[in-house]
Amino acid sequence: MRSTRGGRVGADELLVQVAGGDQKAFEELYGLVSGPVFGLVRRVVRDPAQSEEVSQEVLLELWRSAARFDPRRGSALSWVLTLAHRRAVDRVRSARAAVDREQREARRSHNPAFDQVTEEVEAGLERQLVRRCLDRLTALQRQSVTLAYYDGYTYREVAERLSLPLGTVKTRMRDGLTRLRDCLGGAV
Amino acid sequence: MSALARLFRRGDLHSLAAPYALDALEPDERRQFEKHLKKCDRCAEEVRALTEDAVRLAWSEAAQPPFGMRDRVLAAVRNTPQEPGPLREQARGQREYTPRLPAHVWGAEPAASRARAPQRRPFFVPFATATATAALVVASLFAVQANKTQDKLDAAQAQSREIAHVLAAPDARATTGADTQGRSIGVVASASEGRAVVTLSGYGALSSGRVHQLWLMRPDVQPRSLGLFKGDTPLVATGLDKTATSLAVTVEPDGGSPQPTTQPVVQLALKSVGFGE
Repeated sequence: MRSTRGGRVGADELLVQVAGGDQKAFEELYGLVSGPVFGLVRRVVRDPAQSEEVSQEVLLELWRSAARFDPRRGSALSWVLTLAHRRAVDRVRSARAAVDREQREARRSHNPAFDQVTEEVEAGLERQLVRRCLDRLTALQRQSVTLAYYDGYTYREVAERLSLPLGTVKTRMRDGLTRLRDCLGGAV
Repeated sequence: MSALARLFRRGDLHSLAAPYALDALEPDERRQFEKHLKKCDRCAEEVRALTEDAVRLAWSEAAQPPFGMRDRVLAAVRNTPQEPGPLREQARGQREYTPRLPAHVWGAEPAASRARAPQRRPFFVPFATATATAALVVASLFAVQANKTQDKLDAAQAQSREIAHVLAAPDARATTGADTQGRSIGVVASASEGRAVVTLSGYGALSSGRVHQLWLMRPDVQPRSLGLFKGDTPLVATGLDKTATSLAVTVEPDGGSPQPTTQPVVQLALKSVGFGE
């Protein structure tokens, strides 16, 4: 790639080439996005085997529907990660629904697979920065944002868990994200 | 609706921008908000910015994908056609592709999970809409084919024809499952043909003198052997009747057993691929 401005520009150009059926471009794009896609999916889904399955489906969907990418709506990376996040959240919600059902039916205790948070030591600079900025949010802003984004809860569920009115949760989410933006600055 | 109520409602919808950017809306609300987005440039702009913020949270979680994922995805890509570019306006916020993902996970007790199976949500995918899953199954087949030495090619080609035969059946459907250790089983089956292609991955080589044997399970009938797995080569099972409820894999002594002698290492319900009637 001629692009020298880092992943963001590279991914935008590559995605357009992928939409034209360019498999080489897809390989390059895979190199850029597979780590973020898998890491995000694993953070939300947690179970390693399911995370791999969801990630593979996301990456294949990226190939299949690349033509649907609309640069006017945002960057390619944000499109890819939004897709990955939505699939991960869908998976974790249906798994939760199944667990809830089983709990009701069998009165069994909660599936331990969902309690195991794999705490990895992969300290990237971006990760440290994001964690530092998350720490600067108020507790309610941080919880509202992370319960939704990393744990896949809807804002209604977040409100219930935090015993807050719906309106407050929506505002905390918005303020949390905006403050995060100010703290992180513009560039990835 | 009064003008004031409309205004209030719009303001209310507008406040969903952050939950939307975090994927924290219920499906109905999401659809409603996406409809609103098309008419509200200010909201669209806000969503765009908030989504970029959320993506920073994603980016910071980047991790090394598992070994082998790249090969599987690239192989799948070679065998997967792309969707034509949609009419952009039509694609905006709607026509969302939502595959029913097979989320079948086996616990340590296959018998118990079989007993619960009828109450579970049917995690099935009709083959035509399950291209992602199916392509991954197919990709693993091709990956295996690619590793064949020349003298095994004839057998491999005959098998490819068998596989193609199953894939081409109009009622072919795919289902996959994985356990918590990352081991997985994939099945493409056609009930009308009574055939299925079964792949195992992640189970590794058994110690010498032992094999993985595939069984057909039917109600009130003894398990029937469908054959032995040779390494990671897919197994083509034929003569499956519609009453079949599941497939099971056990570890048996070399040459296989007339009946299973061990607990299944994995079991996969066939209801989702058109059996069990």
